[in-house]
Amino acid sequence: MMVEALLAVTLIGAAMTFLSDDEWAGRVAAGISVLPVVGSLWMYANFQNVGNALLSGSLAYETTIDWIQLGGYTIQWHVGVDGVSMPLIALSTVLTTLAIVSAWTPIDERQSQFYGLMLLMEASLIGVFSALDFFAWFVFWEGVLIPMYFLIAVWGGPRRKYAAIKFFVYTNVASLVMFLGFMALVFGLGDSITVLGLPEIAQALREPGNLSTFFGMSPGVLRLVAFTAMFAGFAVKVPVFPLHTWLPDAHVEAPTPVSVMLAGVLLKMGTYALLRFNFTMLQETAKANAALIATFGVVSVIYGAMLALAQKDLKRIVAYSSISSMGYVILGLVAFTPHGVGGATFQMISHGLISGLMFMAVGVIYNETHTRMVGDISGIADRMPWTVGIFLAAAFGYMGLPLMSGFIGEVLVFLGSFRSTVLPNAPLFTAAAMFGIVVVAGYLLWAMQRTLFGEYELATDYEVGRAPLHDVVPLAILLVLVIALGSSPGIAYNMIQRAVNPILNLAFALGGVL
Amino acid sequence: MAAEEIPLVFEFAPAIAVLPALSLVVALFFGEYFPKKGAEAGILATAGSLVLSLIMLATVAGGQTVNHELYTLVLGVSEETFGLHLGILIDPLSALMLTIVSLISFLVHVFSMGYMNDEGETGLPRYYGELGLFTASMLAFVMADNILMAFMFFELVGLASYLLIGFWFRDAGPPSAAKKAFLVTRFGDYFFLVGVVGIFATFFPATSTPGMFAGEHAFPVVAEHALAGEATVNTFGFEPQTWFTILGLLVLGGVIGKSAQFPLHSWLPDAMEGPTPVSALIHAATMVAAGVYLVARMYGFYALSPTALGVIALTGGFTALFAATMGVVKQEIKQVLAYSTISQYGYIMLGLGGGGYVAAVFHLTTHAVFKALLFLGAGSVIIAMHHNENMWDMGGLKEKMPVTYYSFLSGSLALAGIIPFAGFWSKDEVLFETLVHGLGTPTASSTLLLIGYAFGLVAVFFTGFYTFRMVFLTFHGEPRTDTAEDPHGVRWNVKAPLAVLGVLAATVGFINMTPVAELTGAHIEFLHQWLDMAPEEYLTNVHHYTEVLETASHYEAAHISPLAPGAVSLALALGGAGLAYQLYGTAAHPEPHTEKLGSIRTLLMHNYYLDEFQVWLATGVTYRVARAANTFDQGVVDGVVNGVSSVSLFSGSRVRRIQSGVVSNYASLITLSLVLLIAFFGIMGGWF
Repeated sequence: MMVEALLAVTLIGAAMTFLSDDEWAGRVAAGISVLPVVGSLWMYANFQNVGNALLSGSLAYETTIDWIQLGGYTIQWHVGVDGVSMPLIALSTVLTTLAIVSAWTPIDERQSQFYGLMLLMEASLIGVFSALDFFAWFVFWEGVLIPMYFLIAVWGGPRRKYAAIKFFVYTNVASLVMFLGFMALVFGLGDSITVLGLPEIAQALREPGNLSTFFGMSPGVLRLVAFTAMFAGFAVKVPVFPLHTWLPDAHVEAPTPVSVMLAGVLLKMGTYALLRFNFTMLQETAKANAALIATFGVVSVIYGAMLALAQKDLKRIVAYSSISSMGYVILGLVAFTPHGVGGATFQMISHGLISGLMFMAVGVIYNETHTRMVGDISGIADRMPWTVGIFLAAAFGYMGLPLMSGFIGEVLVFLGSFRSTVLPNAPLFTAAAMFGIVVVAGYLLWAMQRTLFGEYELATDYEVGRAPLHDVVPLAILLVLVIALGSSPGIAYNMIQRAVNPILNLAFALGGVL
Repeated sequence: MAAEEIPLVFEFAPAIAVLPALSLVVALFFGEYFPKKGAEAGILATAGSLVLSLIMLATVAGGQTVNHELYTLVLGVSEETFGLHLGILIDPLSALMLTIVSLISFLVHVFSMGYMNDEGETGLPRYYGELGLFTASMLAFVMADNILMAFMFFELVGLASYLLIGFWFRDAGPPSAAKKAFLVTRFGDYFFLVGVVGIFATFFPATSTPGMFAGEHAFPVVAEHALAGEATVNTFGFEPQTWFTILGLLVLGGVIGKSAQFPLHSWLPDAMEGPTPVSALIHAATMVAAGVYLVARMYGFYALSPTALGVIALTGGFTALFAATMGVVKQEIKQVLAYSTISQYGYIMLGLGGGGYVAAVFHLTTHAVFKALLFLGAGSVIIAMHHNENMWDMGGLKEKMPVTYYSFLSGSLALAGIIPFAGFWSKDEVLFETLVHGLGTPTASSTLLLIGYAFGLVAVFFTGFYTFRMVFLTFHGEPRTDTAEDPHGVRWNVKAPLAVLGVLAATVGFINMTPVAELTGAHIEFLHQWLDMAPEEYLTNVHHYTEVLETASHYEAAHISPLAPGAVSLALALGGAGLAYQLYGTAAHPEPHTEKLGSIRTLLMHNYYLDEFQVWLATGVTYRVARAANTFDQGVVDGVVNGVSSVSLFSGSRVRRIQSGVVSNYASLITLSLVLLIAFFGIMGGWF
């Protein structure tokens, strides 16, 4: 019942925050949001399960209750956690609390609604990463979008309306496409399934012969159509080139704490769903089209990095670099090797922490300077040494510096994809994607040279001082997490590997020296 | 391997790197509260590292070594994939290098108290913290037992040098130079990382530890077996030797970047923006040394590929000459030294490519000593000159600062390669080894080696010239400015490191006097014997390398006496030094002779316009492509998105009553349509 408890605490917290006084809402929300953090970390610490939620093995914190009868199908309340979703749940709760604290300085109107929506979004995120029945999963999936829409549209920057509607329409159309693709599969499976549970569907799809002709499409065509529709739908969320243009607008207009959640957790919904649906349920189709999928990944890496190089707004730089970093995840998933899929999942967690850290650091600088434009600021290292120090560390984390989590994620993806037997010319794809590590150094170092160093100058009329403690503490916590995962990756990687092994038809256990 | 009994003393080996890492933490966070602002932590830590390194040296001399995993980063899945580990490899090569690095680092810390503390610099805790990081990363790199760990600390060495080069971040120059250093070396490291990943993919599952440097399961050894047809490795459709050449050249990318070889050398002269003690550390023992050390560390792998060796030799020989010519015209003392470093690492590369493993390690050792000495000497001069680095403003410092002068002279004689100073013996051996292998090898490699040799030999003359031009301009003649007339004094913390290194620069060459050994028949090639002491099972000893060079690369040595080639290179060095004396050493107020070179001087002052070319590549090409991509993204990719939405809005305008213009209405419309859709599918699917 742990998942239900997390959801309940978060939802009650959201209600309490909505009702609380604006002046206190930030503190109330932060205080309440500590509970799911403690809960999810307890779950994490006691997590010993091996296996994949959709395929085989033991699930942690699982509940299955028959819920609604719909025609021939039983809708269940089915939640459970495996080694892929556990770190993502922990990431969601931790990042929400830190984002709430980082909102204390910049959010100065309608606070109770802001923090209430943040907690509402957190509940939906926990749901997305734990629901194992399609119905509930889809409700949570859509449930993330609505708070996010309001968070951008109400508290955003000057073009917030445009950005919010673009975000909402774009991702909703994507949900629609994905939904159509998935439903076609469900109908194609016909009588071989009686519930809309993801494990049941995944296992039915792995048995040949279950899929029948639907809407005039043969099973092979149906797989391809469903795969394409779901891939397109999830690719918007990741985002993968060329479906990425909503992201920079949303990031630039969203207030910083919302950007933290958007880059840190919401993008991972896309890759998580890709892993669960496309790469687990329909992996034959994924393998047959590996080169095409890998091309999308590689283009995202390089194209996103090149776009980041052209930007002048610090937030846009980080936004485009997210597209670049998430491209590695695609490449790792499609490799279908232990390091590839495991590394891609690790990269989701790592990028969640590092991009959250990066956006927060940009936010702290913005709080003090009221500008994010590269040309407007220079030499602030003198005025806010600790913030700049953490910014520098975060940037090097983004560049994949060893002993920080980004390095482990990227190197595992590279090791995995280089050896891929599914992907033709795997070494060439890998080498092409790896060039991202040069471009990322280029744009981040260049941006830092111009903003952090040199003689102190500021184009806006603000006196820059040291940031308040509650702005810097979340940064420090995230940095510690990034370094901890980078120097001791087993904390997350072991459970991840045990959960992705069934996808690769491998035994659960890890070998070697334990 | 885990079952193997490890001598107790090696339990302390990790502390060699951990101590400076601790000094990073102590200096950074608590340095403010120390009287010397954190220097204490650094000095204690590096002294501890030095003592431990010496103990390792003694233990290795006693015949004990270690090569084992210490820490698991990522567990392997049994049978299916490998794990990633950190471990230590202490053999003669790494023990020697550990000693060099910790010695130089210790002396640099002491010197820094004179250069930084006494000069009233601010930000010292940060400075000493970064020095600690630099030292720790390099030491961990040196004792890495596998190539992934080597890459990791190679990168951290790059980070530390970025931080230290950009130490004076309030000025415009240092942050720019720091960025360039990191970016150029990162470009090289890209190829290195592709090589590392390729090595893991190639040698797994042939060995369960595909990244190891030494031992029966190490990748160089498995590669050797694969060439002999005794092992099967994944060569991705290539001939094994061709594939090993590709992997070797990929890793070499990192070497060329870090060791500042042509064409990735341009960051090093710019790196002079950092504090001078940092330059000493970068040039002598850490950053730049890391590249060539890596080639020496995995020499068994390079020895398998004559093509890779040829590329190394040719790159090295060319860089040696190329950089030396630029050193001739520079006006600032540190600039001359920077180009000399590039040139000297060219020699080390030439030696490695030319089949002279011992010679190259020898030159790496002597160069570490005399280059640290020269930089610290230059630092002393810079303190004296109130941070004016232009040699034309100096002159006559010889009488005013005798300790600096005589130690600097010792270093200069070593750099120029004049008998009996350290550089003579090692450079001579590098050239000699390249020559004998060039003459003796029957294959096409011989041409590459002989061309490399010719470059190297000509560079000797230039080295002699620019070194003594620097000495004469700085220390001889009459003072040319008021500052030079009355220089600032330096204290013991500057003089003591200079004295130690000055003595070493004169004597360290005696560890491997090959010509003398040849002449007298005495067994005094101590370094050769030392490096040959690596245990048989590691397969990292000299006779194994010689064997591999012969069998896989067909390297053979011609039997000629080392005396004549030695005499030629000595004559060239003396010739260069003599010319410098003629032009700059005789007059009280020497003339700027290089200006007579006219357009050649302009070309050399602009470093053959390579810097301009690289800046053009970055801003003229890459940035323009990025801007074009941005325009494309905004106009085309996003344009399509906006186009689609305006088309739907236009068609929507017919239904005026719903088109209220309030965006949230669209949102609710979409949600509503989704619900309807679900219902539609429900009916289609017969749920109701």
